[in-house]
Amino acid sequence: MTLVKIEKKNWAEGLTAAADAYRLFGPVKEKDYHQFKELEKGEMPDFEMVNTRLSPKALLFPQSEEMLEYSLDESQDDHHIMKEIARDDTPRAVVGIRPCDAKSTLLVKLNFDTPDVKDPYWLNAYRAATFIGMACDTPLSTCFCTTAGCGPYHEEGLDMLVMEQGDAYLAKILSDKGKAFADAAGWQAASDDAAAFEAGRQAAEDRIVSTVKTDNLAETDLLELHGAPFWEDIAFSCINCGTCTFSCPTCWCFDIQDEVHGKSGVRMKNWDSCMFPIFTAHTTGHNPRDTKTQRVRQRFMHKLKYFVDKYEAGIMCVGCGRCVRQCPVNIDIRRVCEQMNSFKPADACAVEG
Amino acid sequence: MLGYTEKMRDIAGRLLKECTVDMVIGFRKGTMPMMNEPCFVTKPEDVQWLVWDSNCGINLANYLTNRKEKIAVFAKGCDSRNIVTHIIENKIKRDQVTIIGVPCTGMIDKRKITGLVTGEILEVSETENTIKVKTADAETLLDKNEVLQQNCALCVHRNPVIFDEMVAEPVEEQTDIDRNADIRKIEEMDSEEKWQFFEDLLRPCIRCYACRNACPLCYCPTCFVDEAKPQWVGKGQDPVDVRTFHFLRAYHCAGRCTDCGACERACPVGINMRLLTRKLEKDCQDQFGWEAGLSLDQPPALVAYQANDPDAFIK
Amino acid sequence: MEYMGIERDRLHMSWVSSAEATKFIDVVTRVTEAVRALGPNQHYVKQKAKVA
Repeated sequence: MTLVKIEKKNWAEGLTAAADAYRLFGPVKEKDYHQFKELEKGEMPDFEMVNTRLSPKALLFPQSEEMLEYSLDESQDDHHIMKEIARDDTPRAVVGIRPCDAKSTLLVKLNFDTPDVKDPYWLNAYRAATFIGMACDTPLSTCFCTTAGCGPYHEEGLDMLVMEQGDAYLAKILSDKGKAFADAAGWQAASDDAAAFEAGRQAAEDRIVSTVKTDNLAETDLLELHGAPFWEDIAFSCINCGTCTFSCPTCWCFDIQDEVHGKSGVRMKNWDSCMFPIFTAHTTGHNPRDTKTQRVRQRFMHKLKYFVDKYEAGIMCVGCGRCVRQCPVNIDIRRVCEQMNSFKPADACAVEG
Repeated sequence: MLGYTEKMRDIAGRLLKECTVDMVIGFRKGTMPMMNEPCFVTKPEDVQWLVWDSNCGINLANYLTNRKEKIAVFAKGCDSRNIVTHIIENKIKRDQVTIIGVPCTGMIDKRKITGLVTGEILEVSETENTIKVKTADAETLLDKNEVLQQNCALCVHRNPVIFDEMVAEPVEEQTDIDRNADIRKIEEMDSEEKWQFFEDLLRPCIRCYACRNACPLCYCPTCFVDEAKPQWVGKGQDPVDVRTFHFLRAYHCAGRCTDCGACERACPVGINMRLLTRKLEKDCQDQFGWEAGLSLDQPPALVAYQANDPDAFIK
Repeated sequence: MEYMGIERDRLHMSWVSSAEATKFIDVVTRVTEAVRALGPNQHYVKQKAKVA
């Protein structure tokens, strides 16, 4: 692990140099909110943000992505044959990603990169990406990263972690990819101020005021939790929109669609949401999750129980707080997690007796 | 509206105790500043969770659709007009709902207030006319009328139009309100400017459908954007598909929309889609003298034919 | 349609009886002239899905 000091006045110059070797992505303000976008030449990531409205998951997993194309024109030799669409998987760097969002890529990776199945679209983009994290010195009151397996200076998923230190940035290089980016940017001035990093981390963690308890989730019986009495109450206000799932950095569900225009067609994948009734609608007309309560339960059980049991990698949540802040009806995952974690199944004897 | 909470708990408790209703639909305190959560109460001892303040902007008529229970519901002016529409459209029966009218002085605009202060808002409290906003470093006192949701600032039906009992005496209605200044500005643009205006307006849309789902009018079992056979609209982020969703949704609300503002309030990316629904509301008013949800006896504008309906567009 | 930026002259509505052949010709002539004057429609045409 190497520490590098970057004077703020050299920051833009470094990024401009790195732009020769990388496509750069970063947070920029559009209308009222910050979002991750590909940076134009000379454009700098805007760190005057607390967090972006949507997570940067779209950089690896776009909301709409073309996968294959085909022709229906029978005069063509290759009609009705699916062909790969040329993709740009040249090196890219995400500059200014928050540690929580970086950690979330590892949770998403558990789904897109398994021993049996490897999603080439996500994986190629992931392999091409270098994540330059910006430490989070001003967490929000809704951030609960420290109790969601993450933190404002958390390093998992990052190639480099940058913290602000007066007129300079201090960068911790965490991987070969991070080293390569620092070289491309010309950031070489070594620093031995590891204490500053530790102090920054401690101060930032102390600013986290929101927490969740997850210690009982794994032990609680799955079916008992599924049948818990509180789901109706939790789900009542839900309008079944996709705000929580679309803004979530760890939600990975998608739907595959063909779109035909004249005689040419594309096969594309689009974000989908377990909140939508058609998410589970069968062609028979049957829908196994036909009611709102079932769908809301699914979302929270997946994040806080099924995932916990299946991967033994904690909850499927990094505590970024986006769903808490953006839910139109104020369904709060912290409150739901508290109810799930403190749930005690009724004593079996008492029920039978 | 500050004294409403106690009165609401009294009414809800009485209705539940007397078994007049099976459930009461209202709001409980949110976990975030400027947010309350719609909730239901079925036991008299739980009415203590009910609250009312200037953060109850979600339209509770949305929670009545196709329910079978006997329900008491708190209804602001706009909510009550949507309940009227629900009854006319057979989404709930009149004798099934006990409407508890809530005279309303407007809901506050979360986004506007967030934009007025620096730093994260940690606490918001209110008096009858002021809103106090607390951040880590400062306290700001705002005039409530300056930070109302736009639909509330333009509202001319603050009192419920239909009710079984009222939480308080009616409030004074706003008069001399020009509801359509911004709509006329768009009407005056040429076609290209209009096209670009809506292109820009709708660009941030992520098709989460929060606007549609927060809307009491959007109760179709399968929305046209979700239909697969035939598939009317592409499911991706192509601007043509995004626009088709917004335009057609607005059309489906023509003559029915009460401008309750739930759609705009729900939008996670801050799109004012009311610029579409309010144009149709304006047209209904101009051409048919129609305002939605004011009476159970009047047939809606798009259901009734009258000999003097305007027909100059037929050449 | 006009409000969302489709030119007014692109959309026409007429009431023509099966007995009104002359009116039908008039309407078709007027519509085609009006649309031709505007040129090909640039908006609300989906060529191929545009994705992020």
